[in-house]
Amino acid sequence: MAGDKIFDDDLLSRCMSCGFCLPSCPTYQLTGEEASSPRGRITLMRAVQEDRLDVTDPTVLAQSQFCLGCRACEPVCPAGVQYGQLLEQWRDTEWQGRRRPLLARALMAMMSWLGMAGITLLGLVRGAAVTRRGSAAAPHLMLGCVERVLYPRVSRSARRLVPALRAPAVQGCCGALHAHNGESAQGRRMAQRLGKQLPGTIVTTSGGCSAHLTHELGADRVVEFSAWIAAGNGPDPASLRPIMLDERGKPLPRHASGGRPARIGLQDSCHLRNAVGVWRQPRELIAHLGEYVEVPNAAGCCGAAGSYSVLRPGDSRAVLAPKLDALAELDLDYLAVVNPGCYRQLAGALKGSRTKVVHLAELLATAAD
Amino acid sequence: MDSTELAGRLAEIVGERHVRTAEGDLEAYARDATPLFRHRPDVVVFPGDAAEVAAVLKLATELSVPVVPRGAGSNLAAATVPLAGGIVLVLTRLTEILEISAPELLARVQPGVSTRALAEAAAGRGLLYVPDPGSQVVSTIGGNVATCAGGLRGLKYGVTRNYVLGLEVVLPTGEIIRTGGRLWKDVAGYDLTRLLTGSEGTLGVITEVTVALVPKPAAARTGVAYFADLAAAGRAVAAVIEAGITPATCEFLDRTCVAAVEDYAHLGLDTQAGALLLFGDDGDPEMVQASLTRIGQVCTEHGATGVTLAESVAASEELLAARRCSLPALSRLGSLTILEDATVPRPKLAEMADRIAAIAARHELTIGTFGHAGDGNLHPTCVLDVHDLDAIERSHAAFGEIFAAALELGGTITGEHGVGAAKLPYLERRLGADQLALLRRIKAAFDPAGILNPGKLGS
Ligand SMILES: Cc1cc2nc3c(=O)[nH]c(=O)nc-3n(C[C@H](O)[C@H](O)[C@H](O)COP(=O)(O)OP(=O)(O)OC[C@H]3O[C@@H](n4cnc5c(N)ncnc54)[C@H](O)[C@@H]3O)c2cc1C
Ligand code: SF4
Ligand code: SF4
Repeated sequence: MAGDKIFDDDLLSRCMSCGFCLPSCPTYQLTGEEASSPRGRITLMRAVQEDRLDVTDPTVLAQSQFCLGCRACEPVCPAGVQYGQLLEQWRDTEWQGRRRPLLARALMAMMSWLGMAGITLLGLVRGAAVTRRGSAAAPHLMLGCVERVLYPRVSRSARRLVPALRAPAVQGCCGALHAHNGESAQGRRMAQRLGKQLPGTIVTTSGGCSAHLTHELGADRVVEFSAWIAAGNGPDPASLRPIMLDERGKPLPRHASGGRPARIGLQDSCHLRNAVGVWRQPRELIAHLGEYVEVPNAAGCCGAAGSYSVLRPGDSRAVLAPKLDALAELDLDYLAVVNPGCYRQLAGALKGSRTKVVHLAELLATAAD
Repeated sequence: MDSTELAGRLAEIVGERHVRTAEGDLEAYARDATPLFRHRPDVVVFPGDAAEVAAVLKLATELSVPVVPRGAGSNLAAATVPLAGGIVLVLTRLTEILEISAPELLARVQPGVSTRALAEAAAGRGLLYVPDPGSQVVSTIGGNVATCAGGLRGLKYGVTRNYVLGLEVVLPTGEIIRTGGRLWKDVAGYDLTRLLTGSEGTLGVITEVTVALVPKPAAARTGVAYFADLAAAGRAVAAVIEAGITPATCEFLDRTCVAAVEDYAHLGLDTQAGALLLFGDDGDPEMVQASLTRIGQVCTEHGATGVTLAESVAASEELLAARRCSLPALSRLGSLTILEDATVPRPKLAEMADRIAAIAARHELTIGTFGHAGDGNLHPTCVLDVHDLDAIERSHAAFGEIFAAALELGGTITGEHGVGAAKLPYLERRLGADQLALLRRIKAAFDPAGILNPGKLGS
């Protein structure tokens, strides 16, 4: 390893160690330790780059994996450090020629090209929105690997809201998971392939895919669903019916009178907010659907973080815990999400509570019906 | 005693979970926000209360092992770099706000509480914690007291020192003392609270702080004025004060800094102007409006090329937040940013700005300058290429001249960041040999074994 440059020198030297990123970092919030902060991790990267530490040093390995990759450290950094890119470079090298955790490999194999036939089939069985119709000039709706299997209602809702969207059944995986797990070249290839399969504008309902695809294909080709609707594609948000609930919190039928507007909060998708900069739009849309309630630290990671909740369930729960406390106090009717990972994490944790976790596209479709 | 044995003894005190000896962890604690200084400790400990701190210090005195107290490590004077190795004692586990007493206008907090967290807790009770260093999102109260941090409200309200009522401090020999308390009026004994404020972790470890709060002003607003250069802005500041106005905030940025901040914050600042003055006041809404208008007028009379007042509180807060980021924003310009800190009497501000510009030009360096104009506190910041050793050498020479200039104009070598290791070579020039010797005797009285933060202030 000695002598080889792992990190882009320009990216690495941007950090001036001011520490402004510390309070935004969920893992630093858990430990209060420098090594599990963004600044500390960058210090470790520097030590690796300058041969003071080996990339396989136990702390170096532990900290790369403890990092959620949520990139909450990026928008708060006045120096403009692109931490997400450094993290990809870090993980790429770390796992070169080594065997990464079995679960991570299994997940990635499932998502990669070979597994696509299976994903497509599962998506079909689960009833994700699949259609050849839609106008030829209309954007493509990306179905997402995880989302089409776990939450097929999301793409169905999106298409119900905007019937012109095209949603071919055969579409690859964007490779975000690979890019975040030490396979950035593979992740890039998969994104390029998907770009070819879905020519023109690609609309996504998953914050994570959106960020990765935007990075690989450019912001002119990729747009996240809520930002796309807020920009005036699809129904005018003002024409949507606010979601009204009876005293017991059950939605009232469209033409019923009375009731109260639903209390709706939002959990940001880390990558959507921190990498793509989309966070105002979902809030604006929700304000048309009911009473918008800002969830404390909505921008803070819920612990799902791609494959993190599967690979590190303990840490994932620890990151989630303060959010659950805050949510319990808010007593929302709906918690809207814009990413399937957050959906899975929060729906699981809030099972049995009064607050129902839904994708924003689902809420929008309900309000439009 | 080797470091494994030391770590074992420390683990008996704080528990194994709160001791670190892995190389990577030591590397992470080898530096703070100061460039060009780096040294690994032998062990890092995270005590959970004052009794544990006391036991750690007692052990260290017994074994003559250096101890460096550390808050958030945001200081710019290499004050938390463990130059002699030993123990880094991190206070980030002590994050409780113990009490906010509205009738007494005070708060009692543990040292690891961040400045921002204290300010927010006070605001929740309709109160204001005044000191607001640019680093408030990350810096700790313990670190603020230990460095006597200044802030953006310094001119009207003073600095951290003016708000510390009492301290709980662990002496290097293990005794726990309480200085001051909850009273404004208390003259029993030497003022150890003041002595410890700004002592940079060389006399004792602060384990609890009682600070004074003030009622939250009804309104707070800011505005900006643009000038041809920093010297013109400096002259306007002097004129504002002479006109009998004491703004709460009076900060300036030169052209280089405005461009860097604008690049980060996108506020629509005029990046063509030579210098920007950010002024603000707080209090009764009408009075604030009148004061801001008046400051704007005086600035215009003294060469401002444009003046705008922030429309809303949110806009004001954005401006202040952007100013707080000047330093890290500057690091967009080069791979190494060296920030310094010098203060001159306010009427000399313009002259000091001119001298800094001349020194930068002579050494062929990019030096951006920003700072707390109201306090005469300047932060000349050199941006360079980390691989350009010759430029780094020239920057050392340039800063030497800048400090000499500050002293010549009746100023000082550090207004708020402290001496640490970075300024130690200049301290005697500021204090004189006799005073420095007294400082060392005081240090020895507190810390007979010389374990606390060696190589820094008082060494
Ligand atoms: C971008 C930026 C802007 C800044 N703006 C300002 C500003 O406007 N004004 C200003 O004054 N400073 C400023 N600073 C400098 C720095 O943030 C302050 O000095 C701050 O008070 C340090 O707090 P900390 O918790 O990070 O302390 P650290 O950096 O961890 O420690 C600083 C010193 O305090 C000692 N110490 C820390 N905790 C304790 C304790 N509990 N007991 C005893 N000693 C202790 C340490 O040993 C060390 O000597 C800025 C820094 C940055 C990076
Ligand atoms: S905020 Fe940016 S420059 Fe400051 S320590 Fe964090 S990554 Fe480095
Ligand atoms: S990506 Fe998230 S967890 Fe990782 S360092 Fe940044 S803020 Fe912390």
